[in-house]
Amino acid sequence: MFLLPLLLVVFIGAQFGGTSETRLGVVAPPGDASATALIDELDALQGIAVAPFDDAASLRDDIDRGLLSAGVVVPDGYDEALRSVGPITVVFVGRPDATAASLEALVAGAVGRQAAPGQAALIAAAGLDADPAELRRVALQVQDRIAAIEVTAEQLGSDELQQEFGGLGQFDLGASTQLLLFTFLTALFGSAALIQTRQYGVARRMLSTSTPMSVIVVGQGGGRFLIALVQAVYIVVASALLFRVDWGDPLATGVVLLLFCAVAAATGLLLGSTLRNDSQAGGVALGLGLGAAALGGSMVPLELYPDVMRTVARITPHAWANQAMAEIVRRDGTLADVLTEVGVLAGMAVTLLALGSLTLQRTLTR
Amino acid sequence: MAKLLIGTAPVLSCEGLQKSYGDQPAVVEVGFDIAPGETFGLLGPNGAGKTTTISMIAGLLRPDAGSITVAGERMSPTAAAAKGAVGLVPQDLAIYPDLSARENLTFFGRLYGLAKQPLRTRTDEVLEVIGLTDRAGDRAGEFSGGMKRRLNIGIGLLHRPRLLILDEPTVGVDPQSRNAILESVEQLSGEGLAVLYTTHYMEEAERLCRRIAIVDQGRLIAEGTRRELVATLGEQDLVRLEVFGDAVAAAEACAGVEGVRSADVEESTVVCLMHGAGSRLASLLGAVAEQGATVTGVEVREPDLEDVFLHLTGKALRH
Repeated sequence: MFLLPLLLVVFIGAQFGGTSETRLGVVAPPGDASATALIDELDALQGIAVAPFDDAASLRDDIDRGLLSAGVVVPDGYDEALRSVGPITVVFVGRPDATAASLEALVAGAVGRQAAPGQAALIAAAGLDADPAELRRVALQVQDRIAAIEVTAEQLGSDELQQEFGGLGQFDLGASTQLLLFTFLTALFGSAALIQTRQYGVARRMLSTSTPMSVIVVGQGGGRFLIALVQAVYIVVASALLFRVDWGDPLATGVVLLLFCAVAAATGLLLGSTLRNDSQAGGVALGLGLGAAALGGSMVPLELYPDVMRTVARITPHAWANQAMAEIVRRDGTLADVLTEVGVLAGMAVTLLALGSLTLQRTLTR
Repeated sequence: MAKLLIGTAPVLSCEGLQKSYGDQPAVVEVGFDIAPGETFGLLGPNGAGKTTTISMIAGLLRPDAGSITVAGERMSPTAAAAKGAVGLVPQDLAIYPDLSARENLTFFGRLYGLAKQPLRTRTDEVLEVIGLTDRAGDRAGEFSGGMKRRLNIGIGLLHRPRLLILDEPTVGVDPQSRNAILESVEQLSGEGLAVLYTTHYMEEAERLCRRIAIVDQGRLIAEGTRRELVATLGEQDLVRLEVFGDAVAAAEACAGVEGVRSADVEESTVVCLMHGAGSRLASLLGAVAEQGATVTGVEVREPDLEDVFLHLTGKALRH
């Protein structure tokens, strides 16, 4: 319960989070002006980091090992060939995947833009009986005056989601969902300890002491609450320190977490006072913990659910807590912005605590 | 120095106790008193209602009818003062196996409301009494059965109760530990502690208890000192005849002998309760011989609690 949550935060962050860049290796002749311009253009593209290589063999080796998404080999005399409008071959090396295909198109575009004046000069020279190199110089001079043809891209259907998750740190999403999953799960597994206390006869013996039943029940519930709280605080602090996760407004986050811990503790109390043995508790805790987490948006964000599923998910405390954490973490919400979620979580906590306490009292005095 | 406080106001007084589970009566009209320094035995087979009676006296169950007073306080599940006067030692070990002996004592001491420093002192005293001082820091789960039993008893003594309830404290205990437990109970009783002791071991009840109540099917069917209980059988002797042959026919023949009050069969043994066994033994042997059976062994002795129980309920105590 200490290592696994952080490992999952890292895993989710690595898979889905943040702004990881695609690495493109480039072998280019040193001091070649056009090759340098090509590298600069590729490096300036969003999401692409250019890595220089000394030779094509090591470039291919890194692509083979998956360290690079693709590579470009710019031949010696690249600049001179462009100037003299001579034949030239730029080699693109990639793996057979979508990323390499996208990169190939980008590289071809950049090289094409560098070759375009020369191609234009060749076309013109065919009709004017002039030196293509001279015509290329003319083409380069007028290039900036030619009206640019601009292509803009429009993506359908993802604007809302992009807005929702845009600006999140790499680990922010994973941290808040795993926080709720593990806090709830840990509190449910805590029910096994309560069952053991019953099985040992210790709980019944407690009732024979002068300590009132109400104090014993509060103590049992409080124990489970503390377990949940320790788990929650651990994930918050560790993820903030290790992964710089931004937890938003401390007051709002604190209130939501306290209430979620109370719901988790009350559910643990209920399980602990109704189930017969700890192996039964283990099975139910795992099923209920993971099931509620999956339904409540702690495995797949609620925003990706169909409307019907999103409505059904509201029977889980996870859905309300995830909704509140989304408001706090993604949209810089304050306590005032999550009052509805806080109210629902408080209602769930009170109801489940009352139910758990009554069940425990009945179990102990039976 | 042992103090005998018998004769003063009772520590425990219960009257007309009744408890049913659904339609099944578990305890019916049970009542008795226990004086300070007295060990009172509750003798009965499993399922007789002993544990239900104890649970009501310890405040774990609310009786359907009747009253319980402990150290002058009315007992109920919410009566903190009355509960503070009772030390319960349940039949099943009620300890945390993962905690040490000291931690178990400290945990329950806090539940009994003992403050930190007095609890530390009292824990040391109790560890001494139960002979676990050297093992105070060891996990209870690593203890032998006898040591666990002693720790179980120690928890009941922590808060210096006026009444100690011991529910079958020697079940599953080796003879040495059993003897140590019985000696501890004798010592505690000698120090003025009232003890309610349930058992189905007749010899324990005879050794420890000044007065004994016999319960069966939820009812208290007899109560008194051992002598008083045995006297209910009259001035009779118990004759056991080991028979080779038809034991049932032999028992029927014995029942017809003058002075024989009852003749029962236990496997190949005929058990006769009779007056003047010394002068009528020959008649008894003759009656058996007339049935064609041979007597291979004879035992004549005074009846004990086992025989009282057999006489009162028609069944053996250890069933």
